[in-house]
Amino acid sequence: MMKSNLNYIISLLGVLFLGMQFQSCKHKEGEYHSINDKIESESKNYHGTTLSSEAFLGDIKTVEVTEGAHSFLIPERKSHIKSYACTECHSKPLNQMQGADSEEYQKAHWDVKMIHARELTMNCITCHDGNNMNELKSLTGARIDFNKSYQLCSQCHSNQFQDWKGGAHGKRIGGWAPPRVSMTCVNCHNPHQPAIQPKWPARFNTQKVLERK
Amino acid sequence: MSDKKWFSLNIGKEHKASSKCGCGNASGSCNSHDSGGNAGIGEERVKDGFEQVFEVKMDRRSAFRKLTASLMIGAGAVSTSCSMVAGDEAKEKAQIDWEEQFKGNYKLMTDDEKKATVDRLVRSYQLRTGKNIKMSSKDAQEGVLFGYAFNISKCQGYMDCVTACVKENNQDRNSQMEYIRIHEMKDGKGLDFGEADDNYYHEVPAEGHFYLGTQCFHCDNPPCVDVCPVQATWREDDGLVVVDYDWCVGCRYCMAACPYDGRRFNWSTPEVPEEEINKNQHYLGNRLRKKGVMEKCTFCVQRSRSGQNPACVEACPTGARIFGNLLDPNSTIRWVLENKKVFRLKEDLGTEPKFWYFMD
Amino acid sequence: MRRLKVFKSLVVDSMRVITHGSKNYHIWMGFLSFIMLIGMYCYSIQLDQGLSVTGMTDRVSWGLYISNFTFLVGVAAAAVMLVMPTYVLKDIDFKQAVLIGEGLAVAALIMCLAFVIADMGGPSVLWHMIPGIGVFNFPSSMLTWDVIVLNGYLFLNISIPFYILFRHYQGREAKHSVYLPGALISVFWAVGIHLVTAFLYQGLQARPFWNNALLGPRFLASAFAAGPALIILVLAIIRNSTAFKIEDKTIKKIAMVVTVAAQVNLIMLISELFKEFYAPTHHSESAYYLFFGLHGKSALIPWIWTAITLNVTATVILTFHKLRNNLRVLYFACVLLFIGIWIEKGFGLIVPGFIPGPYGKIAEYTPTLIEIGVTIGIWALGAFLFTILAKTAINIELGKLRYKGDN
Repeated sequence: MMKSNLNYIISLLGVLFLGMQFQSCKHKEGEYHSINDKIESESKNYHGTTLSSEAFLGDIKTVEVTEGAHSFLIPERKSHIKSYACTECHSKPLNQMQGADSEEYQKAHWDVKMIHARELTMNCITCHDGNNMNELKSLTGARIDFNKSYQLCSQCHSNQFQDWKGGAHGKRIGGWAPPRVSMTCVNCHNPHQPAIQPKWPARFNTQKVLERK
Repeated sequence: MSDKKWFSLNIGKEHKASSKCGCGNASGSCNSHDSGGNAGIGEERVKDGFEQVFEVKMDRRSAFRKLTASLMIGAGAVSTSCSMVAGDEAKEKAQIDWEEQFKGNYKLMTDDEKKATVDRLVRSYQLRTGKNIKMSSKDAQEGVLFGYAFNISKCQGYMDCVTACVKENNQDRNSQMEYIRIHEMKDGKGLDFGEADDNYYHEVPAEGHFYLGTQCFHCDNPPCVDVCPVQATWREDDGLVVVDYDWCVGCRYCMAACPYDGRRFNWSTPEVPEEEINKNQHYLGNRLRKKGVMEKCTFCVQRSRSGQNPACVEACPTGARIFGNLLDPNSTIRWVLENKKVFRLKEDLGTEPKFWYFMD
Repeated sequence: MRRLKVFKSLVVDSMRVITHGSKNYHIWMGFLSFIMLIGMYCYSIQLDQGLSVTGMTDRVSWGLYISNFTFLVGVAAAAVMLVMPTYVLKDIDFKQAVLIGEGLAVAALIMCLAFVIADMGGPSVLWHMIPGIGVFNFPSSMLTWDVIVLNGYLFLNISIPFYILFRHYQGREAKHSVYLPGALISVFWAVGIHLVTAFLYQGLQARPFWNNALLGPRFLASAFAAGPALIILVLAIIRNSTAFKIEDKTIKKIAMVVTVAAQVNLIMLISELFKEFYAPTHHSESAYYLFFGLHGKSALIPWIWTAITLNVTATVILTFHKLRNNLRVLYFACVLLFIGIWIEKGFGLIVPGFIPGPYGKIAEYTPTLIEIGVTIGIWALGAFLFTILAKTAINIELGKLRYKGDN
């Protein structure tokens, strides 16, 4: 009697052990230690996909940007600026159009209020060139195209610039698939008041409240 | 409490901070979550199922009908399909219902079978509502492994992602099902979810808080998939963890197995107003569900498989959400993983989520 | 061919036996039928409206049904405590009790299956689980293991007593060589069903309250206390209401089993409490919620302390020979123990596993009346089945039910 008992125990353990074997190799991706290993090894011979996010871009115009190792598209800006080119009004250098006696000129840009850094640091001419209103200027006086205004921002916001180039800051347009079209700084931030204003959440879940009462 | 060097739990003690408004905003603009703000909603007592049913006046006949209804479904389908009187459409509908009831597991279907079931579902919707939907059965593409990164310094708690998700994925409006939760975390408390609030309603971002979103993390070693007794949920080759709603038996074992609160159950028949239904659907994604089955975030499979971003990524106004192909060395998601300090939730469980968090 | 004829006669005879009885018997069966009807009505509402009529939510996604299922697996497994001494160790004292124990196991298993089905969101597609026509995710899913072991155990517990009773019905002795292998397997199988059911929970890394190595052994200990306790009570009722003779010695021996199991169960409880509260970690929150409440939420406190009080009282009573050997006190202790473990293995185990949720949120669980209706309906079904099985078995054993020959 004892012997048959023993046999049963052994066979039962055998079945259990076999089960465990199945259990431990049920993940077919068992050859990888972690998801990072998997990503590394599987992307070694990455040949791209047939997918494209072009169809989801809509009809926006883009310009190509190459910064360091990164090359991607950003939305074209100039056509979205009201009354570009600026020289249509700014026919003379800025200092000649300013001043109390200039009755002939309308007051303009009254709605632009600067809340960007301290006055000690920044004013209009930090970025705008009074002698060439159609373009922006860098701190050293180099010309910067309105389409590439990020070059202006990156002078101070170098960390954000790094992240933006890599894709960690900002937002993509269309989809994840190539071509990469990223929003540029001014697509989200008003350059004159770059801080994002607080607002109310888009929704409130009343069911959750009931559940947790 | 704070000078203790060991871990201790705060049991039973109502925290002072939580009785006030959580955002610490002194201006009074913060509308507190628990009090005032939703008192009106709280008062509206929801009846439990028993009352709902027993308070309904029901004559014996309808009670009897209810009792036998479940048994009659199958028989009804047969009799309608054989009946000479029933119209062609009714017959076709019964035929579709019959075939849908006894179809196999989507995971094991051939491409033709997949197409057939998708066609049936489209036709069935057309017969029922007279409207057309587009349903895809697009498979995973080679060389794609989806990954997601979430910037906890950028998220401001606007919940635009939640709204977009609900709309895109045809989630039940009655139970206010949401795949995404945004947790309002207190600065200086680390990742203490116990102190966090995921149902705030006040101006955001609240001072002294940061926001962290959770949803299904599409684990590479998903515990939910292992436990399913019928393989109604599985991991696709592009890393998406999906559910075949028609194969699910509704045992909710996967829900118990998920450490991330990633799964949702249809406790009653989900309802979406006809005009709000997203008609661009995928079999494994946002097609309309039925009662008694699991569902979850699929990274918007109907969008992501064609190269588009998931709805939450697209809706986020802060750019806190980054989505892409982990196998593409030049993708933005890869740049984030390689250059930012990333972490994942509950990494010690060995589930290998494909959802990373990072800070600026 | 002859066997078929005997079987037909057995069915006919047992039909006659179970439809005839004393007034009390009819009242009892009528009462159970009434409860079952209520349960069916509640279930029809659940079928119609979905599981939203229960108290379960996305937060606490298993409730009363799975709690009862877990407990009843234990009750079913407990039959082994009678089978082993009777068939394997040849202890005759248990012989009268074992058929009753196995009948109880059958009824408990049917109830288990009924509870699982009641808990399903889509009972109409349960065929998806049947190997061959559906997809059976074996061995990956512990639920499939559970399906196998429960059905296997059900088969064993139907076939062994059936064989014995079938032989006795014809006035012959049952052959050891036929039922002994089955009895031996069922001993291991009983341990298996409860261990596998524990693994169902134990294997979830998402739920630290369940994910501990003691869960399985504690399941066994509590099952071997609650199950035989129920058997003692049932035997007491049968002794008093039928001519079936059960000796005091038998009941006292079973009481011994109950005592040891209850003591082991208490030791394990202490070990668990020590682990959770001596060095509490984040993973102890569920235990804190269960025993002391968390963030002002305290729905389970009265339940668990009632359970612990009942368990401790019962165990103390059972430990003293003088008290245990007094049958009235013994029955009282068994009732306490049964209720105590029902709470502990049900509400005290399943619900706190979900609380707090994965992100620390607490949503409490209270079953609705519909859920309770279905639950008592299934219990009534179990009692109904057991009464039928026991009545037939007792009549065969008493010799009242005999095959009338081949004429």
